[in-house]
Amino acid sequence: MMSLARGKLNTPYTVNCVNTDHEDIREFLFTLGCYPGEKVTIISKLASNYIINVKDARYSIDEDLANAIMV
Amino acid sequence: MKIALAGNPNSGKTTLFNAITGKIEHVGNWAGVTVEKKEGDVKQSLNPRNEDLIVVDLPGAYSMSPYTSEESITKDFVQNENPDVILNIVDSTNLSRSLFFTTQLLELGIPVVVALNKSDLTDKKGNTIDIPALSDALKCPVIQTVSTKSANNGLLELLNAVITVGKANKKQISPSIGVKKASTKEEFEKADKKRYAFVNNVVTEVERRKVSSEKQTMQDRADRIVAHKWLGIPIFAVIIWLVFSISQSWVGPLFADIFVGWIDKVYEGVASLLGENINPVVGALLLDGIIGGVGAVIGFLPLIMVLFFCLALLEDSGYMARVAIVFDRFFKKVGLSGRSIIPMIVGTGCGIPGVMATRTIKNERQRRTTAMLTPFMPCGAKLPIIALFAGVFFNDNSWVGTSMYFLGIIVIIISALIIRKITGDYSRSYFIMELPEYRWPSLKRASISVLMRAKAFIIKAGTIILVCNAVVQILQTFDWQLQVVAETAPETSILASIASPLAILFIPLGFGLWQFAAAAVTGFIAKENVVGTLAVCFSITNFIDVEELALVGGSAEVSAIFGISAVAALAYLVFNLFTPPCFAAIGAMRSEMESPKWLWGAVGFQLSMGYVLAFLVYQIGTLITTGTLGAGFIGGLIAVAIIVASVVYFMRKGSKSTQISAEMQSVKV
Repeated sequence: MMSLARGKLNTPYTVNCVNTDHEDIREFLFTLGCYPGEKVTIISKLASNYIINVKDARYSIDEDLANAIMV
Repeated sequence: MKIALAGNPNSGKTTLFNAITGKIEHVGNWAGVTVEKKEGDVKQSLNPRNEDLIVVDLPGAYSMSPYTSEESITKDFVQNENPDVILNIVDSTNLSRSLFFTTQLLELGIPVVVALNKSDLTDKKGNTIDIPALSDALKCPVIQTVSTKSANNGLLELLNAVITVGKANKKQISPSIGVKKASTKEEFEKADKKRYAFVNNVVTEVERRKVSSEKQTMQDRADRIVAHKWLGIPIFAVIIWLVFSISQSWVGPLFADIFVGWIDKVYEGVASLLGENINPVVGALLLDGIIGGVGAVIGFLPLIMVLFFCLALLEDSGYMARVAIVFDRFFKKVGLSGRSIIPMIVGTGCGIPGVMATRTIKNERQRRTTAMLTPFMPCGAKLPIIALFAGVFFNDNSWVGTSMYFLGIIVIIISALIIRKITGDYSRSYFIMELPEYRWPSLKRASISVLMRAKAFIIKAGTIILVCNAVVQILQTFDWQLQVVAETAPETSILASIASPLAILFIPLGFGLWQFAAAAVTGFIAKENVVGTLAVCFSITNFIDVEELALVGGSAEVSAIFGISAVAALAYLVFNLFTPPCFAAIGAMRSEMESPKWLWGAVGFQLSMGYVLAFLVYQIGTLITTGTLGAGFIGGLIAVAIIVASVVYFMRKGSKSTQISAEMQSVKV
């Protein structure tokens, strides 16, 4: 298990857990389809943001959140 | 029949709402443009049998468990306001996420119709969706739509389906997902997992994708350039400079010249109609007060329209969400996040929707701080002030607008830093934002949006600004004994005697003249009034032609009438941009902040910021240009010192409270 922040580009990872004290962001990620068992792919790493693909949509997340998503 | 439009953010609800009601609500290509509910009637052509159909457009939501406050509006509406039909707009390029919300809507028992919107994009991508199978699985009608198209868009079929299920008035049967009524958190989670499992099954069955969505596309390559670590800001700067150049220097003035010619004709026409025998007071009220004042404001309409047109194109393209990524890094350092840039960009059009857009920010302090700082962006009403001073005092127009825009951003960043210290709240929050696909902006949508804004501008000019100018004209015509003021002694008028004490405060800022003080005050009613009041007070009706004068060697005429230096003019511009916004925008701040303490703090902070910045611009500018300090330096310095000292005091107090709460936490641990 590692954080998504250390993941490679264009490699589909399976979400293991979302490691954070903030319950609401975990729930929000769930509604987007980013929850244990689902796939997430890093599309690009920009300045301090990661562009990820979850389900069929692109999201920009910051490094804190990329660190919290364990794959 | 009440029809609720619900669906994920950026699925095209408002575009569809506009298409079926004929209304012109603001649309944009990012998640979270609509932050309140809006109602409209279905237009005749889509409602041939004249049914009673009310459509309610709701903010986008990803699910029935709201993350931000505008999502709760949607949840509360579909749960508590008993709509007859829920029209669920689904982005057909993203079934696998959108249908999750659909499954929750289907469980409410209210008849649901699914609009598979953006179906042109699915076709373009070469994806296929088996509509009958999807409809079977969801147990509700599914209609393909393209609400951006004006014909063959599926909207008639959609409304027929809505009317049919609405009239049948049968309880919606939800597909058998195996969800029982949940009461504990674990049960809720389990139910949601089952919903997603159901959605996954349905999508694998009905959808065929030509290219899987995690493959790199041209769009991703574009993102890597426009949101690049180092290129992102310069690209944004060039785009904003282009927007201001096109509107203020290249295209805008072409229209403005024609337009101002018409206003002059109206002025002359009315003057000749009135003839020589008219009472001079009435004549001046009509000509200088009303036509001159309103004309001076309306004269800037072409410049504003071109600017709004450019901004509408940008909003439509999907670029704005990338700007949020670019700024996230910088805003994080001062306790905000990239999310805060969206209200600020919206605020470039008008501060009120800008402040309202702060609803999409989850963290309370960040939301309040953003609501407080959004008015620092130059809104459409401040544009005439920028254009006026740029034209009169600075030969090159476009750098003034662009630099005011970026000065706004810099001031916002510094202010956010100060506010974070004052509140003592150093909590970090996660940043996540959906990235919309880029698309070619539609000229038609941009034109419609501009015409709507122009209409609002003209209405405002014809009502509130007209009244203000008339009042200003009357107040400067009479003295307290209600005698007409002699032309040689304008300083005895009511207006001058009210504004003069205030003007003393402005001496250290370089514009201690009662006319400027009066204009700054009427600016709180509407920022356009600043230009209108100056026009009335100085009896200038036409500010636009001075731009032409500027091209042939300085618009010396107007700047001579104003009687202030270019540096003082810049200070006045800065003062008007960074003082509190108009009352309407302050009202919006009040409702979004939900705290009188924050509101008063915000207004006080904005006043202080305007004063300090104008002081710095005038004094430093004067020192550089003339080698000596400007008038009233000592008095101003004392005022600024008091302001700075009180801000530092509050910052100290704030960081003490941080220490205390940190200590308390360590005690708890």
